[in-house]
Amino acid sequence: MGKESKCIIDARNIVKIYQNGAEELKVLDDVSVKVMKNDFIAILGPSGSGKSTLMNVLGCLDLPTSGQYFLDGIDILTAKEDQLAEIRNKKIGFVFQKFNLLPRLNAVQNVMLPLLYRGVEEEEAVRIAKEKLKMLGLGDRLNHRPNELSGGQQQRVAIARAIVGNPPLILADEPTGNLDSKSSMEAIKIFKELNQARNTIVLITHDTEVAEQMKRVVYIKDGRLFQN
Amino acid sequence: MKLKQLFKLVLINIYHNKMRTFLTTLGVIVGTATIFLVVAIGKGGEAQVNEQYSKLNVGTIIIMPAQRGKVIDPLTKKDAELFQKSKNIAAAFPILNGSGDIKYNNYSDKSSYLGIMPQYQEASNLNLLGGRFLTEEDEKKKARNAVVGFELANVLTDGSPEDILEKTIDINRRKFEVVGVLKRMGDSGSRQSVDDSAFIPYSSAERYLLGTRANPVINAQATGLETVKGAIQDITNILNENHRLGGAEQFRIMDAGSRLASAQETARTMSLLLLSVAVVVLVVSGIGIMNVMFVTVKERTKEIGTLKAIGAKKKEILGQFLAESVVISLVGGILGVILGFANLPVLKYFQLPALPSLSGVLLGLFFSVTTGIFFGFYPAWQAAELNPIDALRYE
Ligand SMILES: Nc1ncnc2c1ncn2[C@@H]1O[C@H](COP(=O)(O)OP(=O)(O)O)[C@@H](O)[C@H]1O
Ligand SMILES: [Mg+2]
Repeated sequence: MGKESKCIIDARNIVKIYQNGAEELKVLDDVSVKVMKNDFIAILGPSGSGKSTLMNVLGCLDLPTSGQYFLDGIDILTAKEDQLAEIRNKKIGFVFQKFNLLPRLNAVQNVMLPLLYRGVEEEEAVRIAKEKLKMLGLGDRLNHRPNELSGGQQQRVAIARAIVGNPPLILADEPTGNLDSKSSMEAIKIFKELNQARNTIVLITHDTEVAEQMKRVVYIKDGRLFQN
Repeated sequence: MKLKQLFKLVLINIYHNKMRTFLTTLGVIVGTATIFLVVAIGKGGEAQVNEQYSKLNVGTIIIMPAQRGKVIDPLTKKDAELFQKSKNIAAAFPILNGSGDIKYNNYSDKSSYLGIMPQYQEASNLNLLGGRFLTEEDEKKKARNAVVGFELANVLTDGSPEDILEKTIDINRRKFEVVGVLKRMGDSGSRQSVDDSAFIPYSSAERYLLGTRANPVINAQATGLETVKGAIQDITNILNENHRLGGAEQFRIMDAGSRLASAQETARTMSLLLLSVAVVVLVVSGIGIMNVMFVTVKERTKEIGTLKAIGAKKKEILGQFLAESVVISLVGGILGVILGFANLPVLKYFQLPALPSLSGVLLGLFFSVTTGIFFGFYPAWQAAELNPIDALRYE
């Protein structure tokens, strides 16, 4: 038992219904998923299957229509908006398909943002941000802005931003979706290394090849989760 | 997020959009400059009024015939003596007013002379450059002595006013000896300037220059500002009793205090009018800011989603966008104050009295920042209220 078995994500019977006018669209249908500390799990499914919706729920960006969700032991469904923001800031590191870097900020400034929202002093934040960027091989790109970086480099900046605050969970939604195959491989390698360094990672993808490199794969189809 | 870092973020964003920021601030610049100049004009005008009236005692009451031209029932020295008996009046003295040629050596000037009682000099706060004032003795003896205003002396002596002391001048071909020269007084607010006049004893003016045409005004000094009303009442009563033909009706009774008050009132009304113009300019520019902030929020919707995902709270998003519009308007305010200062010479050219002041600067900046807060709030609030997933999905 001990730390290894600690449950980071405990989602039970999650249902998400989108109301499209009079029409109801059940995007997540009774989804239950558990993610343990140091897990490295892929959620694999075709486009439109509800992956991003699931990630939004797991990432506390959206609340499910019904169900229960505990993140690192916190009951998410009863949390208020500002609490959710704080949970996102401290518990989750997001990696998006399109990187979502702020175009007017350089690499260091982008990476340190989560720390600033946490109230960390700027000097300290800069120091940690630089450290993470160097760790990901961007030591010579610290002051570059996103448009001065390649797609692969941008995604590494985004990964640095996700891990800068040492969150217990890293959530990546199609992180290789906008990358060429070489950059994809690099990104996957980084995720593997992060997992070896005891990070918990949930990676969402429609790409079987990518999913197969994770420790565990769960499948999603029409809003339903299948585990093997 | 710490305030300092929030402002850094804001400045980075603003710097990135320099041109747009500048164009947005144009209205604020004009509005703030207007406010600054309005306050300057207001202060300048007020200073001018106060300066004009500073030489006039606020307790001063002037009694004069209501009609110009030939007066059938003029005021007399005796009226003044009766006024003086009122307990509300400290002093009252008649003044004769005439004009004509005043000559010295080869210089002559069309100017005015005043026949005055000795008290006049003190009541009008006259100051001597040299020589002495007119005395009771001069009055009693109908002495042909004169005290000359600074500008008049200056003209007659071609630039060395003191030279005229103890010399003889001609007033309408009557000879007077100059016993005193006055210091420059500046504009006194009365109809003719003290600086351009010659002063002779009342009795002499009556005797040698005006004769039966003598038609004095009376200057009465109330014992204090609070007795002015009572003094005016007493004066009215006395006039009714002693001028049975038309009573007090045929005279005008003016007091300096209420004239000062109404002049100040006029200056204030003017300022208020200009100020409301400035406020309109700022409101219009505020709507401009609001527009630009709406566009900015829309453009950065996805960024706002990202910020929310990494932990920005509502109030932090609100603060960021509000700070952005405040900084934009503050920049406009500062440029506006600079523009205001740059325009002071223009006002001077048009002879508008303008007095730049710290309160003008602060009022201008206050209004510009208020504009930024007021008109920036709604767009910032919209940004803060964005749903994170909708914002993230926005393309
Ligand atoms: N905000 C929304 N309103 C209505 N329908 C939505 C919304 N978000 C997603 N959907 C629908 O839910 C389904 C699943 O979407 P999504 O979770 O983005 O799928 P995936 O990421 O697997 O491609 C899609 O059919 C999509 O159109
Ligand atoms: Mg998706």
